[in-house]
Amino acid sequence: MAQITRRKFLIASGWVAGGVTALVALRHRAVAVAPTIIFPDGESGATWVQIRPDGACQMFFPRIDMGQNANTGLAQIVAEELNLSIEDIQGVQPNTSQVPPLAVTAGSMSLTAFSRPMAIAAATLREQLRGLAAVHLGAPLSSILDAVGGFRTAEGQSLSYAALVNETSLVIEFDDTKSAPALYTFDSNRIKQQVGHSKTPLGTRGLVTGEPVYAADVPVAGVLFGRAIQPPVRTARMASIDTTGVAAVAGLVALVQTDDFVGVVCKTPSAVDAAMAEIEVTWDLEQPINQAEIDRLVDVDAEMAVGDLEQVLLDQSHRKTVDWAIDLRFDVQVQTHAAQEPRAAIAYFKDAGEGGHQLQIWTGTQDPWAIKRFAAMDTSLSEEDIIVYPMRLGGGFGGREHYEVERDAVRLARTVQRPVKVQWTRQDEFTASRNRPASAHRLRINCDEAGNLSDWWHGYVTGHVILARDRLPGWLLPVARLGEDMGVVKGALSPYEAPHQRVEFKDVDLPIDLGVWRSLNAAPAIFAIESAMDELAIQQGLEPVDFKLAQMGDQHPRLQHCLARVRALSLNATLPEGSGYGRGFACGIYDNRCFVAISADVQVDTATQAIRVHRLCCVQDVGMPINPGQLRAQIESNLTWSLGMALFERLEVGDNRIKSTNFDNYRIPRMADMPSVDIEIVDQPSIPPAGAGEVALIAGPPAIANAIRNATGFRALKLPISAADITAGLRGDRQVPVN
Amino acid sequence: MKLKVNGVERPVAAAWQNESLLSVLREQLGLTGARLSCGIGQCGACVVHVNGQPVASCVLPVSEAAGTEILTIEGLAREDASLHPLQQAWLDAAVPQCGYCQSGQIMQALALLQRIPDPDDAQITQAMNGNLCRCGTYDRIRTSIKSAALVMRETR
Repeated sequence: MAQITRRKFLIASGWVAGGVTALVALRHRAVAVAPTIIFPDGESGATWVQIRPDGACQMFFPRIDMGQNANTGLAQIVAEELNLSIEDIQGVQPNTSQVPPLAVTAGSMSLTAFSRPMAIAAATLREQLRGLAAVHLGAPLSSILDAVGGFRTAEGQSLSYAALVNETSLVIEFDDTKSAPALYTFDSNRIKQQVGHSKTPLGTRGLVTGEPVYAADVPVAGVLFGRAIQPPVRTARMASIDTTGVAAVAGLVALVQTDDFVGVVCKTPSAVDAAMAEIEVTWDLEQPINQAEIDRLVDVDAEMAVGDLEQVLLDQSHRKTVDWAIDLRFDVQVQTHAAQEPRAAIAYFKDAGEGGHQLQIWTGTQDPWAIKRFAAMDTSLSEEDIIVYPMRLGGGFGGREHYEVERDAVRLARTVQRPVKVQWTRQDEFTASRNRPASAHRLRINCDEAGNLSDWWHGYVTGHVILARDRLPGWLLPVARLGEDMGVVKGALSPYEAPHQRVEFKDVDLPIDLGVWRSLNAAPAIFAIESAMDELAIQQGLEPVDFKLAQMGDQHPRLQHCLARVRALSLNATLPEGSGYGRGFACGIYDNRCFVAISADVQVDTATQAIRVHRLCCVQDVGMPINPGQLRAQIESNLTWSLGMALFERLEVGDNRIKSTNFDNYRIPRMADMPSVDIEIVDQPSIPPAGAGEVALIAGPPAIANAIRNATGFRALKLPISAADITAGLRGDRQVPVN
Repeated sequence: MKLKVNGVERPVAAAWQNESLLSVLREQLGLTGARLSCGIGQCGACVVHVNGQPVASCVLPVSEAAGTEILTIEGLAREDASLHPLQQAWLDAAVPQCGYCQSGQIMQALALLQRIPDPDDAQITQAMNGNLCRCGTYDRIRTSIKSAALVMRETR
């Protein structure tokens, strides 16, 4: 049975009959309670590499591209195993009808989860071809040597892959019960030609020539334009709807209204704008939407005053009553994704005859199979009648996993029975984003007489992340919340050793929509941890880097290496003389296998307290670099995000709505904000690659905060840090430690 | 109404004459390289050239673009299909991450280099500061502008 499933899957996914194909079953565990994060099992899912009858190499692309270019890394692995160049590889990106469900593209898991299966598939193919070459040449297998694009013998005979394959299909299956062939990718003694080199990502040419690659670019004949009203929060219910003026709008095709939905379809985009402006909705809210309410809900001190927090991550001989050397509270703001592409989808209910319909959806999403499932539930169509065509995303960052703009397009298209394109406005993006929650952290630390950490107590309250309301079906949510929210615990355990430790938290519903944002809770938690450790070192009269290196013990040599190296890098530039300049350091571990340390050089204007980051150095170790250029690109991106998180991004809420509406009132980093950047990637040729998409963001904000401390004596206790905060802090308006 | 885009006269249907230039380029003329992002002329993703000047096409009524010379990213490649030095520099430095803003970045950079063939860092920052890139590719954009400027000066 599995055999038949796989052949059907192969043919459907762009595979060409003939030639030689290696198939590898993926046997991943289902990783979470959410149905959208289940990886394919060995029966239903496989990855494949093929040498086609014409000799070309073709592979299956299991990931959605949104800027991380994971498929390029996987193609490099295939090329390495087959002694090809990445330019020789043709990728096939499937739609949802062609292959069994593939895991959501999220969590920087692409290389971690797929690099080895892809290498095994390609190496299995190579060895099968080697066997064919031996038969062809009448020579023993051991005499068949690798050559570019084929094989050779010591006697000077050569054979290309094309010469070895024919029109008859040969499919080799491999699963993890067999021993893998030699994998060139993970051979640290091999001089590699593809892996470890900075190849230009596949598809880059189309991005610089303006080719249609995003959902809104897809040409669909006869397409109409639509949009729907977005609620300020998904628990809001429409109290009143006034659509009086809509009917008079020129170009209106349909006004679509149900209990929980109101939208329009028009002939042109400007008619959509005009019609939407005529719709007035008032909302019933379960909670008031304002900053004071958010602050109240995450008030960690109020919660800890009542007693233990709900969830305990670590309790090791905890002592509550200690004369704390450090007792600081850190507050972290709400942030939104603000991807450059406002999400878009095109939906088309096609008449399939006999009263039946087929639904086609073009959309940029991190989870095409979830979109298919939810569209089926929303329309009562069977999943077999729905095809989702995954398009490139103009930025994801964790915010593009849900059935949202697709829902708008599907409902509108169903009404008008024509293809409808919906692209959210920028204000829709801000209003309906599933944000990084606010959080508040109480950090208490003490040292023994020798100056080593003795006690560590970190309590924090945050909004939900993975288990946020509306991210899971209602029936599943209470059950799921009995366990830990994987997003909320990320980054909470420090790399420092102390005999007495307690880490506890509580996660709560906030009055705004929440979800997955780059690095999840790791950046907020590590901002608190690294700021507190910096302050403690200063209190003890020690260099923060020395102190941190000493307090890690011998548990984290890779982190220690990063931190020591970044200090060395930072010393390549001298801080200018005079007041207002400072240098700070921070480090952290993401997902147990990604290590990073960052230094920041800042200047704080002595009159205005305006903050300028002049230089960031970053040393990062995520195992073996598959594509150093792209690894560096991800670090550059995370360093840019660090500036925004540390210095100016904050979602403004109030008056029962999201008040940030566009880039003119939610400031993201610009070219003028950019410091000079010095990046060092630690090469670990024998450690499999881990994802780099969210790593450096964990250490950037505390490095900047610590640099401001070094420059001014001001300890930032909340993000973003403003000049006004520094002025007030230095004046003593607030309880902050000042040298 | 007609629009002259990338050297070719294209008719604009009557029903589309109240739209933005961006909507007409994308939805009527099939030129999807310029992209909608902020909708208020604040981010640069939709930049095209009108009579040689970079403009935010999301806020320019198409009626105001009639009778002008419009250049979009699709008009940059040479007749032999080889890339413009800016596009080649972007490709060589692997600038794009998600890529959504990059057509606008390249068109803004082109306007800069047409005005100042050898810009310094401050001039690049001033010209490019209104073009947002959420992925944070600013360093590579700067580098690519400098390398393209060199090629363009040498081949002039």
